[in-house]
Amino acid sequence: MNRIWFLMVIGSIACLIWTDPANVLNSMINASTEALTLSIELCAVYAVWLGILELVDESGLGNKLAKLLHPLIKKLFKINDIETEKLIALNMSANMLGLGNASTPMGIAAMKRLDDGSGIATPAIIMLIVINSTSIQLLPSTIIGLRASAGSMTPSDIILPTIISTVCTFVLGVFLVKLFEKIHTKLKRSKK
Amino acid sequence: MSSYIIPFIFLALFCYSKYKKVNTYDTFVKGAKKSIPLVVDIFPYIATIMIAVALLRVSGITSMLAYILSPIFNFLGIPTELIELVLLRPFTGSGSYGILNDVLTTYGPDSYISRCACVILGCSETIFYVTTVYISQTKVKKLLYAIPIALICALVGSIVACLLCKII
Repeated sequence: MNRIWFLMVIGSIACLIWTDPANVLNSMINASTEALTLSIELCAVYAVWLGILELVDESGLGNKLAKLLHPLIKKLFKINDIETEKLIALNMSANMLGLGNASTPMGIAAMKRLDDGSGIATPAIIMLIVINSTSIQLLPSTIIGLRASAGSMTPSDIILPTIISTVCTFVLGVFLVKLFEKIHTKLKRSKK
Repeated sequence: MSSYIIPFIFLALFCYSKYKKVNTYDTFVKGAKKSIPLVVDIFPYIATIMIAVALLRVSGITSMLAYILSPIFNFLGIPTELIELVLLRPFTGSGSYGILNDVLTTYGPDSYISRCACVILGCSETIFYVTTVYISQTKVKKLLYAIPIALICALVGSIVACLLCKII
């Protein structure tokens, strides 16, 4: 992350010095303002979803959901901790419903529990990042809404191709994580 | 249809909680209380990534990259008009929705280009944003192969999306 950020910023600023030096500070502050507005919005969204999450947890539904998804989660993450499994189950369910913002607090909480403090991402952390990056979305509601408001005759005809491609990326993601994990452990062993 | 899903889930959840003798009010407050500290913790990460993205867009590097990469993307079946969307999608959610809106109005919502754009957006995520926010509360510094895999998946997703829109 450090390297990517550095490259992005250095490259852009170097370019802007040629083309539009006055815009550097301006656009940085604008972006930061935008981030603040977004954070305030997120704060409101999270308050609703964390309230709901607490209810799901307290009522025992979370445990039930985790049990339901247990075989899948166990296969993907190789963990055995009901609390983390519950968070991942909720994170994945929210993603499937197209509620990206709702899934974030649960994802963060799950990450905290997966972290082993070594500073290096564990296979389970990488799996969770990739799964969230390829998020299976069964209902792209925002996009359908945008299409409808742009005057589309068939706003929902993108659902099927979206589901097919999202399943493709999900399967590919899981496969690549497992593959790289194997290569990585082999490399580590041969170094020793 | 989809507008009924959430209300029904919530209704069921509240009834179920009552049935399980959970104090719904107290419990909801307890959960909602966590939102402010969470946002305070992740704000710096959101701001930092958004600053870099803003600089990247203003500097014109993305449109330059789109121009340079267009032969490769065309070869993979991704139309030139959508390269900027594919490039920016991993970084910014609001930015890519802005591009989608432009595409919808420029080419008409039912055109091939627009449908591709919709599917590309629907099957991908803001990888860098998600990653920074998710690991912001952990000690993880080295992500190993997580981001490359996520990016490969996003690219393959875009290719599949353009292909599917041609067939369906």
